[in-house]
Amino acid sequence: MTAIHLEGLVKRFGDFTALRAMDLEIRDGEFMALLGPSGCGKSTTMNMIAGMEAPTQGRILFDDRDMASVPMGQRGVGFVFQNYAIFTHMTVRQNLAYGLKMRGMPRAEIDKRVGAVAELLQLTSLLDRPSAKLSVNILQRLAIGRSAIIEPAIFLLDEPLSNVDAAFRAVMRTELRHLQHAFRQTMVYVTHDQLEAMTMADRIAVMDHGVLQQVGTPLEVYNNPANVFVARFIGSPGMNLLKGRLADSDRGPVVDLGQLGATPPLPDALAAAARTAGAEEVFYCFRPEEISIAREGRGLAMPVTFVERIGARTIVHLGEGEETAKAVFDNDVGLSAGETAVISANEETVRLFDAASGQAIGSA
Amino acid sequence: MADITFRNVTKRYGETIAVRNTSFTIENNEFFCFFGPPLSGKSTILRLILGLETPDEGEILIGGQPVNGVSPAARNVAMVFQKLALFPHMTARDNVRFPLVERKQPEAQIVARVAEVAEKLHIGHILHKPPAQLSGGERQRVAIARALVRDPAAYLMDDPISALDARLREETRVELKRIQRELGKTLIYVTHDQEEAMSIADRMAILEEGAVSQVGTPVEIYDGPANEYVARLLGSPMMNIVPALLDASRNSFEAAGGAIRLPAGVVPEETSNLGIRPENLKVAPWTDRGEGQPVTVFEVEPLGGHTVVTLEAGGQMLKALMRGQPQIAADSLVALTCSPEQMHFFGTSGETLAR
Amino acid sequence: MVVVDAAGGGGRQDEESRRLGFALTVPAQMLVLFIAAFPLLMQAYISLTDWSPLDGIGWWRAWELWNGFANYSDLATDNRFWGALGRTIIVMAICVPAEFLLGFGLAILFTGNFVGRRFFYSVLLMPMMVVPAVAGYMFFMLFQSGGPVNDILSAIIGSPVQIAWLSDPDLALFAVIASDIWQWTPLMFLILLAGLLGVPEDQLKAATLLGASWWQRFVTIVLPRMKTIIVIALAIRVIENFKVFDTFYIMTGGGPGVATETISIFIYKVTTQELVWGYVAAIGLTILIVLSVVAGVAIKYMSAQRREA
Repeated sequence: MTAIHLEGLVKRFGDFTALRAMDLEIRDGEFMALLGPSGCGKSTTMNMIAGMEAPTQGRILFDDRDMASVPMGQRGVGFVFQNYAIFTHMTVRQNLAYGLKMRGMPRAEIDKRVGAVAELLQLTSLLDRPSAKLSVNILQRLAIGRSAIIEPAIFLLDEPLSNVDAAFRAVMRTELRHLQHAFRQTMVYVTHDQLEAMTMADRIAVMDHGVLQQVGTPLEVYNNPANVFVARFIGSPGMNLLKGRLADSDRGPVVDLGQLGATPPLPDALAAAARTAGAEEVFYCFRPEEISIAREGRGLAMPVTFVERIGARTIVHLGEGEETAKAVFDNDVGLSAGETAVISANEETVRLFDAASGQAIGSA
Repeated sequence: MADITFRNVTKRYGETIAVRNTSFTIENNEFFCFFGPPLSGKSTILRLILGLETPDEGEILIGGQPVNGVSPAARNVAMVFQKLALFPHMTARDNVRFPLVERKQPEAQIVARVAEVAEKLHIGHILHKPPAQLSGGERQRVAIARALVRDPAAYLMDDPISALDARLREETRVELKRIQRELGKTLIYVTHDQEEAMSIADRMAILEEGAVSQVGTPVEIYDGPANEYVARLLGSPMMNIVPALLDASRNSFEAAGGAIRLPAGVVPEETSNLGIRPENLKVAPWTDRGEGQPVTVFEVEPLGGHTVVTLEAGGQMLKALMRGQPQIAADSLVALTCSPEQMHFFGTSGETLAR
Repeated sequence: MVVVDAAGGGGRQDEESRRLGFALTVPAQMLVLFIAAFPLLMQAYISLTDWSPLDGIGWWRAWELWNGFANYSDLATDNRFWGALGRTIIVMAICVPAEFLLGFGLAILFTGNFVGRRFFYSVLLMPMMVVPAVAGYMFFMLFQSGGPVNDILSAIIGSPVQIAWLSDPDLALFAVIASDIWQWTPLMFLILLAGLLGVPEDQLKAATLLGASWWQRFVTIVLPRMKTIIVIALAIRVIENFKVFDTFYIMTGGGPGVATETISIFIYKVTTQELVWGYVAAIGLTILIVLSVVAGVAIKYMSAQRREA
């Protein structure tokens, strides 16, 4: 059990900066997801924690120990590769025993530990099978077992679910989380899939273009995204963003969305925060799930361009060009493309972002 | 006309039966999806339509004409490639022109046809660019244009967007659907992603081990699955399917260790399993006055807009999909309710029973 | 035109069309078989006779000179043949391991990155592209008593060196071995480098993270993963080395005496100088059988590997 501190971590490859001044504290025993689109620097961060790459600047501390001079084989880090990197020329047992054998542990002790880990991961009956033709979920367990057997303080997982098909993901996700409960290590999990991060992690570090955008629990990140990127990235679909200007109306401060007209009055706290922030252009943001929709009445009138029905769920695509929004419902709302819908967002879930800086205004 | 009909088609590879006595009709101009787990015969059906395989038994008709002996080239159906689809050393225009040049069509005709297709797909303004300078969506349109330029009766796509990340897939599937609507041509589409299939298909066929389990619109199939297999395949989280037991007095059915109890009258007699979609399973805090049995919350997964609650009841795991972010703690006790109208009843061999 | 992704389906053809396909290729297969088998059969036939082109009768009438297995029994007691075979094996036993170790070492070096990697890579491959006859001539020049090798040795020692490399029976073999190593180490290097680059990097990283040292990684991951390619490389070189002719012949003509006479040179001399073709055919066939056994063992080993994988 070890806490990881990243201090001002920078990584450049030639002219390309993969990571800019990353500060992050991963707590002891925590399951932290590094989440972002490809090229956001999440894998680079993880590779540096593992010691596969050296930081250009900054420090990596495990508890209080600086890792700069510790080579990758001696950091006490378990690493599960995206493709699992199973030694396919060995049996399951040889794979599990590998780390211990390399340490020159006595045969009897190795057998004992391999037996114990295999038991825990339900691999006992497969121990003497060649590892080349195992199914993905067994490969995943084997990869975890192989790293776990050397009792690393830290477990790093690089998109271990990315080559598994959708139906199977849910099963593996659950399995993985239960394994974490079993091993109780500090886990860092890299993924580009926000749903995966939301369901598995204790906390999520959202990254983009080498910059850490926000750190928080899944619900903190979902409910109060720190900036426009996080708002769009978290959620399925992401948050709706409509650009406008702060304005006053007889009912209180609103956002003037131009052609779409004015929004309903902003909640007091948000209005106050907006006034303090002094932002002119803002994004008026709301979750697709937090919308009420009607054919007429008060609210924003937008044309329905497309209606997707996915089982019980309906996604209504609204608006064209710059001004688009999506609304998600748990039932069929009876609208179809070509009609006009009037939407209003659940006032408590409305957020404002400064259009110039992209940063959240106030915090609800 | 481009309706495509399979009549009792069987295709074997040695001992393996890839397609089993299958019949269906794909109507003209519809977006038709084949959906099933790996090795359920999706790709073989595409290959049969394309003419790359010949059926061992049965008949395939395109536009009413039997095509069993007709070569792929003469069938007038086109495959849209995804990966490495476009020739990188040619401009988008030359890529689109390629099939016509290959057929040595007169230049004037090629120019006219390319212009026509380009207009339909809104790619006129990017035709001069090489594929490397196009965005993913633009490339997709150019690839489709190339397939369509020789005016096929139908075009086919085999799991075209599976390689994209989740967010891009959501956007691309809507885009594909729009393109198909604008073009009004038969599109036959194979996918292994249930959400994608439901989102874009006008109608879909669910495959199980080479046989069609059910054909219908996504909503029809989702709301009325023909059997347990289909019920499990669509929807995320998966439908809860639990054994239903007629109690000793034969007055009521109970399931999940008594947490779900139904009067015998509303349940078909032969019922062996009950199916409840997670979104139809209502969860409320347990109060002593509640009816039935309390169940234990095993796990709570907040997704933001929804929350998946896993419940343990009578040794079985049930999942409920709740709106929003309800305050439910793991290990707490809750009561379950579900209206009988939203339940599915399955017989001993997995078939859906009529109410 | 419709083409389909190979990944799209099984890709297997109908049983019927497979049978038809086979039937259609039968004439071509017969032709190939004939081309391959005819010289062999002819050789086997002649090896059982005393036929020589000087006899004035066509080879097909060689049966008139039938001598049963006399050529083979002569071969068994021919000291010059056994000497040549022994020399060939010595050359092979030195050249192949030397080329393998050097090639492997270089290949490992080239998996890393260093300044001038591309340049040295091209330089390293050059010997392989030199026509063997030209290489023979180069080494002939190098090892002259007044040649560059002696000049360099003189410079190192500080006093004039005048070693008669190619006319000293002991040193001549050393010289031809040097030429072979020079010319064929690059091939080893190339094959083994391809093999090394095929070892999945993730597995090496995984092994490192599990605490394996460089040597442990080499023994537990790299070598097992390269088994097949090592066997291929060794088999190619063993077979090629057995047949080496041109370089050696140009350097020494097999001399002095028979000091560098390998099997190929021996056969060449017997064929062209003594014109006893029946005997030559017997030698040729014997060697073919020996080499087939080597190749057979290698192929069997590789197919066993593939079944495991």
